[in-house]
Amino acid sequence: MNTKKDIFWRIGLAYLFMIMLGAAIAWKVFYIQSVEGQRYRSMADSITTRYMPVLADRGNIYSYDGRLLATSLPNFEVRMDMKADGLTHEIFQQGIDSLSGCMAGLFRDKSTTDYKKQLTAARKRGDRYFLVKKNITYPQLLQLKAFPIFRYGQYKGGLIVLQSNKRTYPYKELANRTIGYMRDATVQPVGLEGAFNNQLTGIPGKRLMQKVSGGEFIPINDKNELDPQNGKDLITTIDINLQDVAENALLKTLVANEADHGCVVVMDVKTGAIRAIANLGRNEQGVYWENYNYAVGESHEPGSTFKLASIMALVEDGFVDIDDTVDVELGIHQYWNQTMRDAERHNLTRITVRSAFAHSSNVGISKLVEQHYNKDPEKYLSYLRELGLDKKLNIEIPGEQQPYIKDTKDKRFTRYSLPWMSVGYEIQISPLQMLTLYNSVANNGVMMKPYLVQQIQEYGLPVQHFDPVVLNKKICSDETLQAMKIILKEVVDSGTAKNLRNPNYSVAGKTGTAQIADKKHGYATRIYQSSFVGYFPAENPMYSCIVVVNAPSKGVYYGSAVAGPVFKEIADKVYATDLDIHPAEILYAENQQLIPQTKAGSRHELLYVCNQLGINLQAQSNQPWVTQQSGDSRQLVDKNVVEATGIVPDVKGMGLRDALYLLESCGLQVSVAGAGAVLSQSINPGAVIQKGTNISIVLSL
Amino acid sequence: MEAASVQVENIFKKTQGDKYIWLVVIFLSIISMLAVYSSTGSLAFKYQGGNMEYYVVKQGLMILFGLFLMYLAHKINYTYYSRIAQLLLFISIPLLAFTLIFGVEINDARRWLTIPVVNVSFQTSDLAKLGLILYLARALAKNQGNIKDFKSGFLPVMLPPIIVCGLIAPSNLSTAAILFATCLLLMFIGRINMKYIAIMGGAGILLLALIIIIAMNTSFHARVDTWISRITDFFGDGQEAYQMQQSKIAIANGGLFGVGPGNSTQRNFLPSPYSDFIYAIIIEEYGFIGALLLIVLYLFFLLRCIKLFTKSPGAFGAFLAVGLSFSLVVQALINMAVVVNLLPTTGVTLPMVSMGGTSLWFTSLAIGIILSVSRNVEKEEEREDGTTT
Repeated sequence: MNTKKDIFWRIGLAYLFMIMLGAAIAWKVFYIQSVEGQRYRSMADSITTRYMPVLADRGNIYSYDGRLLATSLPNFEVRMDMKADGLTHEIFQQGIDSLSGCMAGLFRDKSTTDYKKQLTAARKRGDRYFLVKKNITYPQLLQLKAFPIFRYGQYKGGLIVLQSNKRTYPYKELANRTIGYMRDATVQPVGLEGAFNNQLTGIPGKRLMQKVSGGEFIPINDKNELDPQNGKDLITTIDINLQDVAENALLKTLVANEADHGCVVVMDVKTGAIRAIANLGRNEQGVYWENYNYAVGESHEPGSTFKLASIMALVEDGFVDIDDTVDVELGIHQYWNQTMRDAERHNLTRITVRSAFAHSSNVGISKLVEQHYNKDPEKYLSYLRELGLDKKLNIEIPGEQQPYIKDTKDKRFTRYSLPWMSVGYEIQISPLQMLTLYNSVANNGVMMKPYLVQQIQEYGLPVQHFDPVVLNKKICSDETLQAMKIILKEVVDSGTAKNLRNPNYSVAGKTGTAQIADKKHGYATRIYQSSFVGYFPAENPMYSCIVVVNAPSKGVYYGSAVAGPVFKEIADKVYATDLDIHPAEILYAENQQLIPQTKAGSRHELLYVCNQLGINLQAQSNQPWVTQQSGDSRQLVDKNVVEATGIVPDVKGMGLRDALYLLESCGLQVSVAGAGAVLSQSINPGAVIQKGTNISIVLSL
Repeated sequence: MEAASVQVENIFKKTQGDKYIWLVVIFLSIISMLAVYSSTGSLAFKYQGGNMEYYVVKQGLMILFGLFLMYLAHKINYTYYSRIAQLLLFISIPLLAFTLIFGVEINDARRWLTIPVVNVSFQTSDLAKLGLILYLARALAKNQGNIKDFKSGFLPVMLPPIIVCGLIAPSNLSTAAILFATCLLLMFIGRINMKYIAIMGGAGILLLALIIIIAMNTSFHARVDTWISRITDFFGDGQEAYQMQQSKIAIANGGLFGVGPGNSTQRNFLPSPYSDFIYAIIIEEYGFIGALLLIVLYLFFLLRCIKLFTKSPGAFGAFLAVGLSFSLVVQALINMAVVVNLLPTTGVTLPMVSMGGTSLWFTSLAIGIILSVSRNVEKEEEREDGTTT
């Protein structure tokens, strides 16, 4: 036998062996499928699994200074399994009376007997999922879990607790429409909740759950297959204090004038950040609530406030100087067979342009525009477009309407269009858009994009920051800008908004009193829209603000009278609370030789504050905690405080922050009553601390 | 566009070797992609945030690179592998020793070595396996003349398997045992005296026992526990091991035609459904037909390689083809046998199908070398045709 043949039968043998192994495998597969198949398949049937979503916590929405505007609170539903394995007759009978009593006491919605009746009936029926109570809070749940029967838990006590998260808005109605809501797919999402839903929702996790006997799904592994990623938090630009003032002031005006609806927007001049945005409308019961985001979503004919754009075009194009004159013809001018009237009657004829603006003369402004742009209306319109008035602002929240500034190609552009557009008719823009224009005058010609969200945070750390966006670096020449500032100030100083003039701060702005077209009756029904838009302080503007009140029905409809007071109230609030708005003053005069009384506290902080105020205090030593020797003394004496030594510190005279810090950091439980500085403490200073003991402190002003 | 198609054409032209072997490789790659995509769901959830495509894309890239390696390997004249065999063996022995002492521990076993710089981990046993089979083919071919002799025939063939398997055994007993058995099979084919093979086989079993005893008394407890439990699981009549039970459920679920691609439910319960037990998922999704197809594919592959043996003019090439193909197919059949519970759990993967990186590449290299032999055979045939006509 030659070598090759010898090898070949060996290979053949080995290959045969491989085939046999392969056949054995195939046979075993067949065996498992047929002979053992039934058994294993039934095992598989009993393990039905499913990936269940694990909902992520929805992110919070904060004001610009970190106050909570929207958050999710856990909310519980309590059910009872009347046929729980361990819930015996004895346990039920012994506990039912006191359980019913406890529940009646906790919820105060039904009597003890009612509760007992219902529970006993459910027990008799053998309900496995009896609804005990919906919408209970966590503290209530804690109490409920300690009640008779329920304290035995699910298997012995039949207690089933389901958790859901309830969205809560701590400031209730404030900026409600702008904060918005997000319900389910069937409801149109609104406001920031809707616009930032993806970021707020987070990513639901997944958990592999297995169906066990009884139809219940239980997790297979002790951890989520995919952990949910909690939603991110939004830091808005809203200043909740300003929002509060704006909302209340608007409400007052709406109620006083029995208006249909209105809105207010307050904007930070330098950045375009919206500090307050209030929208109130009247429901069928006559109650005002945030029912629609009018400021963003309601494009309408703005009326006189639009004259700013017209004057700006005239001056910028060099046609008019604000000191030129124009004949206002006693407030009536005939354009072919249409009459243009001034809103307020007067007997003026030839006046300066600035004065025509200040008195909001429709005749004066429209005549100037008609005169200079009649030949080439497109020149005027292109300037309006240059100001961006025909474009959406693309603010974060949904609902913005496309502004309507028609051009000469538009079928509806007639010979009346130019004069009427120049005084704010035949165009449609939103209040926010109008405010953006005024804000850019206040901001020295730089047009800022209004925005509502300044940052997105995750676990308290910023993940995305939104910087202010410049829409237009220079809306007009410096000369034009100066002229605009002058005439806007003149409106308040000597024009239609004289009622806003005050000795504390100066305001610049423009009133608007527009007739609005009723859907059925056109302009005939004499429904008005009163508005005021402007900024303050006029010299160094900090905030710009627009107020629009729709359909006041008490006979007063002038912009200054209806919208002006809302503006003033907001400006007053800012003036009263914003330190930056005041010129530097010496707040405390040392030469008065009065030493203010201070709370006891940290030596370092006390000295720092007093130094800043120019008050010279002296400390005897370097001890960290001090107090004044007496009420008006310059001398600081040491407090009997030694941190972390196991001795109760002397917190008398301190503020709550310091007192709590010192007491809790040495292991005491503190209960507090009153406000102000600590008047007394229940354990005397110097006593030895026993950790966890309770100390109560009384504070007094 | 045109240039690209020309390029593709060129690659086809340049690709030589047995077309059927190439076809089997492509087929196995496709099965691999399908099965890996289906079975990595839970892995994707755990590590990739639910990105289901991550692992299949990764596997696809791995396979592509494997095919590239295969292409390169088959372009090299197989006679060079004679030298490379020696080199590989001499490198792998110290590397094995090094891994045993310093390697990276995965699943309580030190099998992995990380190449510095490029930061790729690989099992040194994969390298050693390739080296050993190549070396064996060389030694058997070289000594055919006096193969029955102990000193000149058996001795040079005997020592390397003992050393290599001995070094692999402590960290990966099953791989060592399978490799050892494969070597014995190759010796049988290579006409080594049956008496010596029997002695060596016996010695191997003794060695196995010895290693277990040594390991039990040293720090390898974790692994020993695994071995013991695997063996008792297999022979024990008590509670069936969880993994085995889930594997059988998968097989039973499959039936004749399977539940269809991507419809496996057992992938959620079966531990490592994408590697050691991927065959169970394939059976669940493609049924008995799929199970049979895979067996037939491997056996067909082996048949084509044996055909090479008959045609190969040189002894080295013949032994290369047979040695490498048997080692691959033995591993494949053992893996399948484990999945259907014919053998105790071993921890070897299904070559070309299981998810994996570097071991897939070593398999690709091995097939590439077989194809290199095949290419040579084709060339010889052409030349013969040329001379006869």
